[in-house]
Parts: sequence; structure tokens; C-alpha cells
Amino acid sequence: MAATRAINGANQAQERLQARAPEMELIREAQGGSRAAFDALVRQYEQQVLRLALHLTGSEHDAEDIYQEAFLKAFRYIGNFRFECSFYTWIYRIVTNLCLDQLRRRKTRREDQAVVMDQSGDEIDLLASVSDNRSFSNPARELDRKVLGERIQAALGKLTPRERMVFELKHYQGLRLRTIGEMLNTTEETAKNTLFRATKKLRAQLAGLR
Amino acid sequence: MDCQLAHERIVLAAYGELPDEQTHELERHLIGCAECGAEREQLHALKTLAGLHPVVEPPANLMARSRLRLEEALDALPQKRWYERLNQRLGNSFASLQAAPAAAAMLVVIGLGAGALGGYEYAQGRAAHAATNGEQTAEATPAPAPQMIAPGNVASISSIQQEPNSNLVEVRFNQTVPQRVEGSLDDPAIRQLLMMASEDAASEGVRDDSVGLLAAECRAGRSCQGTGIRDALMVALRYDRNARVREKALKGLEPYVSQDMRVRDAVLEALLNDNDPRIRTEAIGVLEPVEADTSVRQVLYSVATSDRNPEIRDVSRQVLSRVPQIQ
Repeated sequence: MAATRAINGANQAQERLQARAPEMELIREAQGGSRAAFDALVRQYEQQVLRLALHLTGSEHDAEDIYQEAFLKAFRYIGNFRFECSFYTWIYRIVTNLCLDQLRRRKTRREDQAVVMDQSGDEIDLLASVSDNRSFSNPARELDRKVLGERIQAALGKLTPRERMVFELKHYQGLRLRTIGEMLNTTEETAKNTLFRATKKLRAQLAGLR
Repeated sequence: MDCQLAHERIVLAAYGELPDEQTHELERHLIGCAECGAEREQLHALKTLAGLHPVVEPPANLMARSRLRLEEALDALPQKRWYERLNQRLGNSFASLQAAPAAAAMLVVIGLGAGALGGYEYAQGRAAHAATNGEQTAEATPAPAPQMIAPGNVASISSIQQEPNSNLVEVRFNQTVPQRVEGSLDDPAIRQLLMMASEDAASEGVRDDSVGLLAAECRAGRSCQGTGIRDALMVALRYDRNARVREKALKGLEPYVSQDMRVRDAVLEALLNDNDPRIRTEAIGVLEPVEADTSVRQVLYSVATSDRNPEIRDVSRQVLSRVPQIQ
């Protein structure tokens, strides 16, 4: 069994290496100054970057700023990328640091982020995008879900920036704790402990809700 | 297994991070422990509740707007000069080759670099040849036998290939080629190297020296506008592990706390989060002349009430009491 796992592991490593080969070429070209190559890299990751920033900040305006800063930083520092990790981890490291900065700024300015705002300042009802599989909608239940959703956002807002980030990356983005540790420039163990604290705090905040 | 450990493993299991053998152990514990069983139920409930704040795909117009804004910003960036492109190409190929584009030294450095590279490759080829037994064919030149190399001499690992059905592994790597360059602090190339050193150097001493020089330039009022020096100091203040380096960065940023909101935010973060009380105290001093905006007052208030260091709490309170006098 161990031998099979080792062989499978080696094969998977080969496949990952081959899958990364085109991306490595793009990165090298971008490092050489090719704007087209950099634009291609942006296309590969922009959806994930914007999705993460939007969910974390709840603001289209802030998400757009984070997107801008992240890719400008990537453009500026791509020459320093040494292929010691995947480009995905590298770009996410930039994005998570920017998101952490944003969360810290919010903590000090005590902005209320219980609602999501679009560019023009109107509230976005995230639950409106959650489909109801039943034939007939239940307005009372929809209202309950909306209120609960706001309670969740408020509880998430009470986590520290790092706890919020780890919970976001683990629960909502589905990343491995080891990857999260790499992105946050820490260890897997630290990421694990941060996740424990975050879930404990959230459970305390949301006690009584069902 | 005690319940505290079980609670941690319940979280890991819920998120698919628990190894199989520990899952089995946890299941056995849960069979006999009602409290931990309830803990697991509560965690599942939390996961369900958290789903009521779903991740949504960014709207198409947000994506388009962001992309357009980025393209405009990239178009507006100045084209890299030919020596900057050459510098980056050399740096990427040899990983730490440092070139000074100063007019007087450029040709000499390039010549020295090319000569060193040629000599290095020749020596490497001789070593590879000497390490093998017998004749080599043109198509199959075996790699030299591995020897321990100091990590500082390895610039990057470019590929790792395992030979199928064997335990032989080929590792291709680039070695550093030491270079030396001299120039004045006004020289953009020297500044560029100092900025790289402030973020990338493996040695604390090198980071200390580079941040110290950059900070001194900023304090002396020499050009720190739009050259990336301020950014480098902010990165050092936020992330450097060495408190002395962070302190120097803070001092270098002091002249800009009034005019640059990013600098102000970086100093506020240092006041809140730095684990060295000297730096937190200095951050308060740096913030004093700033017009008392909401964020500064709120952070000072938070520090005055909750900082773990009593002296810092006192200093914050003193500043807050003088707030009407701060212009």
C-alpha cells in the first residue's frame, strides 16, 4: 500500500509538473517583459482573486482596489518569483496580505460591514443569488435566511483579521491548511490553531441560532 | 484521547484535514462521549449557518471595470529602460546577479559578468567531465555526483526529475555568481539594489543596512517620492522579523505620515500589532503631529485602554489628552 501510494505520488507530481509547464513559460515570458504573457496570467487568476476579495470585504469598491493593487504588485515583483512555490500560491499570498491590510484598517475604523455594497453604494442582497429549489418561494423563510445571513456576516466581522482570513480560505475557498500556511507565510500548525480559534469564536457568537 | 484533543480533531475532520487513522480513533471516542458528539453537531450547524453567507461570482460589470482599470494602470507604467530589462534578465537567469547600470561602471560590470559566466561554465563543464568514469557520449552526459552546497550559493532550483522506476533524481539548479558594484546613494541602480536587499536578503545584517540607508535618505529629504523606497520601508515595518530593522523603517517613514495615508495606516498597524513595545511607543511619537483624524484617535483610544504594556497605555492617554492641541 505504501509503495502504491509512493508511486501514485510520484506520478501525480509528474502530472502537476507537466500541467504547470505552460504556466511556467508564461511566467518566464512575463519576467522577460512580455505584457501579453502577464495579461494571460491575469486572466487565469482574476476571477478567483476578485471572488475572494469581494466575499471578504463585502464591497465591490474595495474588491476592485484589492484586485488592482494585487496585480500591479504582481507585475512589479514578478521578476522576484523564483518558482519555489506555485504561481497560484504566490499571487494568493499577495492578495491575502492586501485583504488582511484591509481587514485591519476596518477594525481600527470600526466600519460596519454587515451589509454588502455595490459601486453606487446600494446594498446587495447576497441571498437573492441563492436559488430556492422549491416551486414556490416562502417569503417568511427568505426573510429568516436574510437575517441569519446578516448575523453570520456580523459574527465574521468580530474575528481578528487573521482568523477571518484563515476561516475564509478554509471554509469558503476550500484550501488545504498547509496551503493556507504558505499563503500567510506561517506554518500549517499555526493555521490550524487559528482555525480552531475562529470556529470557537463563531460558535460562541452564533449560539442559539438554528 | 481527551476531549480537548477530540474537539480539535472534530474541526479537522469537518474540514477533511484529519488523517484516516486519527478519524477512526475520533469515531471511537465519539461513540462513548456525548459531550463531544454534541460538539460535532454544533460544528456541523456552524458550517450550515456559514453557508448563508455564500461566495458569489463577481458580477460581469465589476470584472470588466476591474480589468479595464488594471489595463490603464499597466499602460501608464513607464517602460523599463534597456538596462532595467537587462538587469532583470540577468537576475532571472543567474538569480542574484547584480548589475549596476551606472554609466561609468556598466560596460565594465557587463564585461566582468560575461567573463565570470564564461569562466564559471567552463569550470562547471570541466568538473562534470572529471566526475564521470570513462568516455561520455554526446547525447547522454551524466550529471556530476552531488556534493553538499551551502544554501546561500544556490540561487534557485529550476527542475526536479525522477527517473522512472528508480530512486535516481536529477536536480537542476542555478548557483549564485557573486558580484560587486559601487555607486552613490543618488544612483537609481544603487537604490534599486538597496530596495531588493530590504525585502529579499537572507541576512538580517544586510536588511538592517539597506533599510537604514533608505530611511536616512528619506529623513534627509532626498528623493523618496514615487521611487518605491517608501513602499520598501512600509514592507519592512510590517513584515521584517528584526525589531531594529522595523524601527529604522519607522523612522524613515516619519516625514510622510502627514501627507501619505498609506504611511499613516502602516504606522497605525505597527502601533496596534507590533510585538516590540519600543516600536509601539515610537509609533505614537510618529503619529503626534498628524492632524487627529478618526482612525488615529480610535487607535490611540484602543491602545490607551487595552495595550498590555502600561507605559504605552500612559503615553497614549497623554497624547489623547492633548488632541485639541494637535493640528
